[in-house]
Amino acid sequence: MVDWIAAFSMPLIQNMFIVAAIACVLCGVVGTLVVVKRMVFVTGGIAHTTFGGVGMAYYLMSVFAVSWFTPMIGAAVFAVVSAVIMALPAVSRRMREDSVIGVLWSVGMALGVIFMSLMDRSVVTPRSFESILFGDILLVGNTELKIIAVVTIISLIVIATLFRDLQALTFDETHAKLSGINVTVMNVILYVIIAMTCVVALNVVGIVMVIALITIPAAMSNMFTESLKEMMIVSVILSLIMAFFGLIISIGVDIPPGATVSVTMGVLFVVAIVVKTAFGKITQGKME
Amino acid sequence: MIPIEIKDLSAGYDGRAVFSNVNLELRDRDFLAVIGPNGGGKTTLFKVILGLINPMSGTVKVFGEEPVVSARKIGYVPQNENLDSEYPISAREVVLMGMRSKKGIRPFYSKEDKEAAERAMEYAEVIDFADSRISKLSGGQRQRVYLARALAPEPKILMLDEPTASLDPSMKDCTYDILRKLNKDGVAIMLITHDMSSISHDVKRVACMNHRLIVNDAPEITQEMIALGFHCVPELVHIGSCDCGGHNHG
Repeated sequence: MVDWIAAFSMPLIQNMFIVAAIACVLCGVVGTLVVVKRMVFVTGGIAHTTFGGVGMAYYLMSVFAVSWFTPMIGAAVFAVVSAVIMALPAVSRRMREDSVIGVLWSVGMALGVIFMSLMDRSVVTPRSFESILFGDILLVGNTELKIIAVVTIISLIVIATLFRDLQALTFDETHAKLSGINVTVMNVILYVIIAMTCVVALNVVGIVMVIALITIPAAMSNMFTESLKEMMIVSVILSLIMAFFGLIISIGVDIPPGATVSVTMGVLFVVAIVVKTAFGKITQGKME
Repeated sequence: MIPIEIKDLSAGYDGRAVFSNVNLELRDRDFLAVIGPNGGGKTTLFKVILGLINPMSGTVKVFGEEPVVSARKIGYVPQNENLDSEYPISAREVVLMGMRSKKGIRPFYSKEDKEAAERAMEYAEVIDFADSRISKLSGGQRQRVYLARALAPEPKILMLDEPTASLDPSMKDCTYDILRKLNKDGVAIMLITHDMSSISHDVKRVACMNHRLIVNDAPEITQEMIALGFHCVPELVHIGSCDCGGHNHG
């Protein structure tokens, strides 16, 4: 039986919940934009390219002693570069979006594997593939926590300032352009915010399950809300509830936290669909 | 100043012209319908006028300026089907988006913006469902919400891409009633349509586009247009009484 009081008094566990809470706030807000603009696989592509950055960081740290280029910075560099490549009209107009995602996704992962094989493991001990891909929130240190908090605050300020333009862009890009919005710049901003959100989220659930944290709460929120702002707020609340619920289960049953959070969100997503369908039928019945 | 002036225009995609040597004027208080078969270049012509694609040759002037500069002076109503009806947004918020072209970047809408949106919604007869989510509106109601969005910044030119496609006859009549009223109020209108019944009843001039353009200064389809654009009798639509439907159709 888990001693919950002892567990919650551990700094490691407290840190885990703080990281999860920050990531949930950012993922809830950004995930809403991802879902309404149908960019789930763009997000998946960006998330997976970060593996290349993590590998590159370990390689540079171990072989060239570039100590400041941490795995998180490496992930951020790869995420932002891949996001900008996808957002540029020169690429998006000439190539199919899913082809670009496929190339970046696979090449990013492959570069990660190559860099990790070339690194000097006697100088730096890397996190395991499993920990990088499927997450290990318990390994997030104080420096990472501060970076995550700063990235989240900056991203939220940018979204709040550009909210009307982001709403116009995600609803009707043609009209946004006709209204005088520079859609290229706005798309780059949105893609970079998504890239930074991926970097924040992968600390909680790992590279492979980033999509769960970004997509599921927002998709659930979309079923029950009437406006973009409302969808963002409900998405954040759902994200926090489901992530905390998943983390508590993971501590209680002693199973990996990232995977538990993803499965919890998936199960509750199905429950939400059932509730929505049943509620719809009840409402329809009353109207008849 | 002439609202839209097009001279020797050719445009297309990937170096292949969809149409060439098009000359056209949209005059002050004009009401021009552009008809023609699919793939003939009607939508491409609209895109060039709106500054969304560049011409291959020739010129387009909107109030004497390049479209890139002046396209925001045009109210544009896209085809209903092209927008995501599941997007979580109310009719009022959609209409408010129209004010972006007038005021530029701001995190909030002003009282003035809200009043302009309110006026546009009254004009387009969507005020009764202003706070409904657009996914809960019928196709005709959604179309008029996009019309209100285009009208909110009070444009002098209105361009509509098949505004009555997939609408029932009463909704079509209602849309044309609003357009006639706008035209009387001084707005120059240019629309793409497959609805031939509107030609004689509502518009002032007709243009037929099929890789080249023929314009008739009367609201009639000429033999030359039929030869250019149609190999069969175009769609004829029943004209019924107007019922704009203030209620949602779920």
